[in-house]
Amino acid sequence: MNNKILFFALVLVAGAVVFFWPSDEKKIRDGLDSLAEYCSSAKEEPVIETLQKAALAAKLCTDPCTVHFESLEIDRAFSQKELTDRFLMMKKRLTDTVFNFHDTAVEIVGDDRAEVLTTLRINGQIVDKQFTDAYEINITVEKQDDGWRFGSFTVVEFMKR
Amino acid sequence: MVPSSSLRRFFLPTLNKRYFIRLALVAFASYLVFGYLFIPLCIQGVSMEPTYRDRTYAFSWRLRYIFAPMERFDVVTVRYSGRRVMLLKRIVALPGETVEFRKGFLYVDGKPIDEPYVHHRAAWELPPRTVAPGHVYVVGDNRGTPMDRHQFGETPMNRIVGGVFP
Repeated sequence: MNNKILFFALVLVAGAVVFFWPSDEKKIRDGLDSLAEYCSSAKEEPVIETLQKAALAAKLCTDPCTVHFESLEIDRAFSQKELTDRFLMMKKRLTDTVFNFHDTAVEIVGDDRAEVLTTLRINGQIVDKQFTDAYEINITVEKQDDGWRFGSFTVVEFMKR
Repeated sequence: MVPSSSLRRFFLPTLNKRYFIRLALVAFASYLVFGYLFIPLCIQGVSMEPTYRDRTYAFSWRLRYIFAPMERFDVVTVRYSGRRVMLLKRIVALPGETVEFRKGFLYVDGKPIDEPYVHHRAAWELPPRTVAPGHVYVVGDNRGTPMDRHQFGETPMNRIVGGVFP
């Protein structure tokens, strides 16, 4: 009986080690969670917090960072400063909004590069109206001295009018 | 009349090996059924109103198109990068058909299509386009919103996760 308990305890510990081990994939997923948190806005968020979050969100990206969004005719590189401004504009427009990444697949394609396919879901309010939106996004992630940074975002538009 | 001993066994089971095996089997079967075959949906948004209202529930039945082809008017779930977030839409045109909107009315191959499920119509205008092989044309039932704020169009069939129940 004691052997069985010991065996299950060892299996549990091994599982926990594998689950919590700080792999590159886990670091990238943590980066996505941070990006979602910084982009989200609480109702009546203090201005200083909004500014901090916008700057922190931009810092998770490379300088410059490329964005491709065909239907909005966006296809260019954004500097860190531009990204901060864009995040700030977005957060001011989307108050009381929650960003979440779901169904995330991370593929490490080299020592310092990874590809991420994920779904961004946005739930919130825009001009006092409830809205829900979702986008499939292809993200390239680059390993830099201070960790993994998002290098490009491409919105996958699988529904063509 | 259910014997009281059966009721007692049901609500206060003996925690023996057999019970835990049964529990594990039920959990595994639930995971398979509700994770892969009959996926619960929490509907958010108004794009399928009035057929499916905001904050209501339904299921995505994944085996719907294993033995039967997709047909016009089927309500389907369309996946993004996975099955956690999906779009709920109605198929209005099949591969090779030409689809267009004139003053909010749907035309397929130049003929008007009766859509009793559409209650509100904005004056959508969309020039004719032919659905590519391996694709279907999907639209939501709520046509009361401006066209540029409604997500619809031609989507690959491999994006269709399944039918919707009920």
